[in-house]
Amino acid sequence: MSFSLATPEIFLLSATCFILLLDVFLKDKFRSIGYWASLLALGVTLVLTYQSWTEAKALAFNGMFVHDTLSVVLKMAVLSIVTAIFVYSKPYLIDRKIFKGEFYSISLFATLGMMVMISANTLLMLYMGLELLSLSMYALVAFNRDNGRCTEAAMKYFVLGAIASGMLLYGMSLLYGLSGSIELSSIAEYVANQKIMSSVALLFALTFIIVGLGFKFGVAPFHMWVPDVYQGAPTPVTMMLASAPKIAVFAMTMRLLVGGMEFGSEGWQQMLIPLIVMSMVIGNIAAIAQTNLKRMLAYSTISHMGFVLLGFVSASEGGYSAAMYYAITYAITALGGFAILIALSHEDGDAEELDDLRGLSRRHPWYAFMMMLFLFSMAGVPPLVGFFAKLYILQAVVSAGFVWLAVIAVLMSVVGAFYYLRAIKLMYFDKPIDERSISMSISFNALLSVNGLLVVALGLTPSLMALCLIAIKQSI
Amino acid sequence: MGFEQIIFYLFATALIMSAVSVVTVRNPVLAALFLIAAFFSSSAIWIMLEAEFLGVVLVLVYVGAVMVLFLFVIMMLDINTDLLREGFMRYLPIGLLIAVVIAAEMILVMMSKVFDKPIPAPLPANHSNTEALGEVLYTQYVYPFEIAAVILLVAIVAAIVLAHRKRPINTKSQKPGEQVRVKSSDRLRIIKMDAEKRAGS
Amino acid sequence: MQRRGRVHKMVQLSDFLVVSALLFAISIAGIFLNRKNMIIILMSIELMLLAVNINFIAFSHFSGDMAGQVFVFFILTVAAAEAAIGLAILMVLFRNRGTINVQEIDEMKG
Repeated sequence: MSFSLATPEIFLLSATCFILLLDVFLKDKFRSIGYWASLLALGVTLVLTYQSWTEAKALAFNGMFVHDTLSVVLKMAVLSIVTAIFVYSKPYLIDRKIFKGEFYSISLFATLGMMVMISANTLLMLYMGLELLSLSMYALVAFNRDNGRCTEAAMKYFVLGAIASGMLLYGMSLLYGLSGSIELSSIAEYVANQKIMSSVALLFALTFIIVGLGFKFGVAPFHMWVPDVYQGAPTPVTMMLASAPKIAVFAMTMRLLVGGMEFGSEGWQQMLIPLIVMSMVIGNIAAIAQTNLKRMLAYSTISHMGFVLLGFVSASEGGYSAAMYYAITYAITALGGFAILIALSHEDGDAEELDDLRGLSRRHPWYAFMMMLFLFSMAGVPPLVGFFAKLYILQAVVSAGFVWLAVIAVLMSVVGAFYYLRAIKLMYFDKPIDERSISMSISFNALLSVNGLLVVALGLTPSLMALCLIAIKQSI
Repeated sequence: MGFEQIIFYLFATALIMSAVSVVTVRNPVLAALFLIAAFFSSSAIWIMLEAEFLGVVLVLVYVGAVMVLFLFVIMMLDINTDLLREGFMRYLPIGLLIAVVIAAEMILVMMSKVFDKPIPAPLPANHSNTEALGEVLYTQYVYPFEIAAVILLVAIVAAIVLAHRKRPINTKSQKPGEQVRVKSSDRLRIIKMDAEKRAGS
Repeated sequence: MQRRGRVHKMVQLSDFLVVSALLFAISIAGIFLNRKNMIIILMSIELMLLAVNINFIAFSHFSGDMAGQVFVFFILTVAAAEAAIGLAILMVLFRNRGTINVQEIDEMKG
């Protein structure tokens, strides 16, 4: 047994338990010690993950845990994003009087869940990681417990999440029954010996799995929870929902569909295509009708997740790595967008209406410029990272022969550009309704600037895409 | 029909009937009781499948803890059942239709040849299911076991964060420490005084 | 029980799977019918997991492999944790709104 491969996870778990205990003994005055301890824990875990970099695939815990380049890259992305979320969310939590140690310990448990999902090598570990993530997220959505909207959003999220887990599990149980194993490699062997399109039972299992994944990704037609939960949850939690878990669900799809059923790609391609088309159409068109900024970003997430799935449809290394690149860069961009929302919020209410953006360029030109970068990147305007992400996906899709899908994706991106541009117009050409000045801490501003810089730089330097390609090649 | 089949159909029917009752009865307390009946029947089915330990755990953990929790919550919340039933009759036809279609499709797949496997020989009488499960649980599956522990910890922390409230400051409560430390002199004061004559005697 | 001309005196794998399929369909119908009643929805989710568990145990028995039983062990653990969090959220919702009817308190459109 090689426990050492899981050193980052083991350290993070121990550190989280320590922070949980530490918080019990802290007086309210010293509450921020828990915050600094959490940042330290994430930082050390990040360093440990970086040090564990390998070019070779290795298994641990009797084949339950896989350690490869893909897992290292994705874990580092998740850890950095969660660190950024902690820094961004501190002022919001203090203003709302929910600056409690439990926020950090539950978020760290969710991070551990994502790491477990990323390194899962059996159906069982995928499920355990997913549930650790989901249960923590349910609690976080309801974290502002005296707010009726938060709790209602949490209830909806909980019910739909639990149904999704049930669907996924039913699919997994059939897959286990057919292949006789819960290990992804044995399942891959079984699927390789079957003709997927003529094996009804296998297609049936696949349907349940795709429905479950669709719920967790939040793609249409399983998207009904997304806008409500994004709107109802506290902004830092929305920020969390929109960023890191998407990377973890990407990893899950990668392990389950590509690792376990690569030879069944003919089957899942057919099932993914309607989901993708629906997500792009519903996401982009419904977003235009929104007056609430959080709901608008929720619908835009739905369409972006359609793009991530589009990478899978090409069923090629290029497509998977493009999807990975898209998931990571979208998470970084969404992080910045929600950070601006936190900056605009004040004690007597969240900034979540589109009207709150009016005249931002006069109130705080730097924030307005940053927000413009994030929105342009989501719209796919060159030379920002969102443009390149879309470009790589479209290249892979066209080379796999799905030209019509690429055409729909481009058309819908053009429709999507409308509501992003509308938000930018509000910031630059309208008069502010709320004249209050905005001031945030130095660490917040510095991180936001780095975030904006990444949105520009990651597109211009091809290093991240090259890294994704190496990771995908090595893991298959 | 063999004896085993009679037993199986008995419990399977009980399971399905109680499941139907769970989703259709008016009273949530009754629904919870029917869910308990469903758990009991399915634990019998699991024991038929030689999964004795899980059958016992289902009764002990599910009926003993989770369902009691459900009942607690139902009793604590004053739920207006009439209001919640609104729309039930309206959705009933389409709901039934969906259920029948799903069930028919699933049953067709389940009856397919892939799932026609030979019946395994019964395990020897001295085979211990608990031992077999325990052996793999703490060796081969130690990693998911640890993660399961973390999940339970998250559930504890989350439930306390969401549901626990500090009592208001002016509530009266017992302070056992002070009660123990009290001396007789704090409670009873003996004073000397002259005897008084009763008036009129 | 008549399959390929043989009369089975034993319970087949597909019999267990059919029971589980029926249970799954009932739970889906339960969620659909009781959209307003959160507590029944939580119970329907328990029924859904029960169906999954029957599947796993039946497959485990017929293939002589312990992995299915271990999986059920973990599903039971997770489902208990899930029920605890679900009921906690339900209680907080009731405290805030005085009702567990989600459609009635629909402040958010959609």
